[in-house]
Amino acid sequence: MADASIEFKGTSFTLSVLHIKTSELADIRADLVKKVAQAPDFFYLVPIVVNIEQLDCSVDYQAVKTLIEELKFTFVGFTGAVDKEQRKLIRDLGFSFVNTSKTDHSQKAAISQEAVAKEIQATAVVPEGNLYTDKVHRGQIRSGQQIYAKDQNLVVIGSVSAGAEVIADGNIHIYGSLRGRAIAGAKGHHKAQIYCQNLEAELVSINGNYWLSESMEQHWGSPAFINLTDSELTSSKLI
Amino acid sequence: MARIIVVTSGKGGVGKTTSSAAIGLGLALKGHKVVLIDFDIGLRNLDLIMGCERRVVYDFVNVINGEATLNQALIKDKRVSSLSILPASQTRDKDALNKENVGKVLEELGKSYDFIVCDSPAGIEAGAMMALYYADEAVVTTNPEVSSVRDSDRILGMLASRSRRAELGLDPIKEHLLLTRYSPKRVEEGEMLSVEDVEDILSIPLLGVIPESQAVLKASNAGEPVILDTESDAGKAYQDVIDRLLGETVEFRFLVAEKKGIFSRMFGG
Repeated sequence: MADASIEFKGTSFTLSVLHIKTSELADIRADLVKKVAQAPDFFYLVPIVVNIEQLDCSVDYQAVKTLIEELKFTFVGFTGAVDKEQRKLIRDLGFSFVNTSKTDHSQKAAISQEAVAKEIQATAVVPEGNLYTDKVHRGQIRSGQQIYAKDQNLVVIGSVSAGAEVIADGNIHIYGSLRGRAIAGAKGHHKAQIYCQNLEAELVSINGNYWLSESMEQHWGSPAFINLTDSELTSSKLI
Repeated sequence: MARIIVVTSGKGGVGKTTSSAAIGLGLALKGHKVVLIDFDIGLRNLDLIMGCERRVVYDFVNVINGEATLNQALIKDKRVSSLSILPASQTRDKDALNKENVGKVLEELGKSYDFIVCDSPAGIEAGAMMALYYADEAVVTTNPEVSSVRDSDRILGMLASRSRRAELGLDPIKEHLLLTRYSPKRVEEGEMLSVEDVEDILSIPLLGVIPESQAVLKASNAGEPVILDTESDAGKAYQDVIDRLLGETVEFRFLVAEKKGIFSRMFGG
């Protein structure tokens, strides 16, 4: 009974591991800043484990942690310490020491600079390429209700009533009538689109560009999709 | 277990109390044990429509506050013995009700009645929320007019999110659309939304269409629910509503304007 409110379970997560090869904090900082600049959104608050395996001398652990946090990562702990004394030191300083699983792929751990760069590039283009996941809402969205698909596309299986509002950071698909407001690409995403089976919206907006009902005359009352072409909203016949 | 039905709308003046009275009396006439509760605290109307305003001694708020027992407050209908009315208080406001005590009263009533019909106040504030909170079914009363439809849509959103059933993750409240003050002639002339328009916007099953009728006003003033006026279109339409609530399939009537015959055309009837 006493434990009813909590439960401990082991789960595997993919964590980013930062291998440091020098104890020169200034160098580490310079390289990290450069890396972060390539994809600031991707790295923002990413949990980081620091691997000290390739380090041949000791480092100021506290300073490493501070540096990591200054650059807006979430510091998790250290890994890769070879001898027991080093581990003890880390623990005594109040940091967690993360053990890697037995099937440690130390080979793979040394991912080449190029591979990392490629990965970063691939991740950074997610919003552009519309590879968001979908938030699916079944049923009608009534007047006064608001649905927000944060960092997702929004799929509504039902109609959006007048006075209701649907917002997504990605695209919006409505399998029904759109009579309320639809705001796609809410965080700034110019390739977001809005699809609906019956366009009778009060307002549609993509990446901050909006239309009121009067601008939708062309496809009013019919299936339509709306996108941005050169920062101008355009509507097209859906089927 | 009693079926708790809330008659609600969002907008005022669309016919909630008229419909509550008709539904309550209609179900009782079919032999069911029914209690009608007026949730419109401060604006006592249901007792007037039911014609029992002179027999109110204790009210819903007295029961909630423990100042009277349910039996003292319930008024037995003089026409149908299986119908009781729990009137609202005229002197208090809607804050006099609280969820816990309302729940206790409904539970108590549920032991001895088949149907509990709750007449909701207008609006979307505490009073209306209280009326719909414990409901199993909702009769969403709507006029064929845009603002009423919009408000009904809002209430439907509340039913789906603010009710006890929604909070506990039970089956959702069963929603029924009751279209009142319907005038087929005005629909044909394009002045009024059609049944199809309203169904399309609200997308809930249609329970009934009550035609605009002089009989409703007459019935209200007389304190005789319009369902007793078996000659009137409105009375017949409410009768159909009762049958549908009891699970029968009844064809919808009064949806098209009556064609004028040669005589009425000649004499301008």
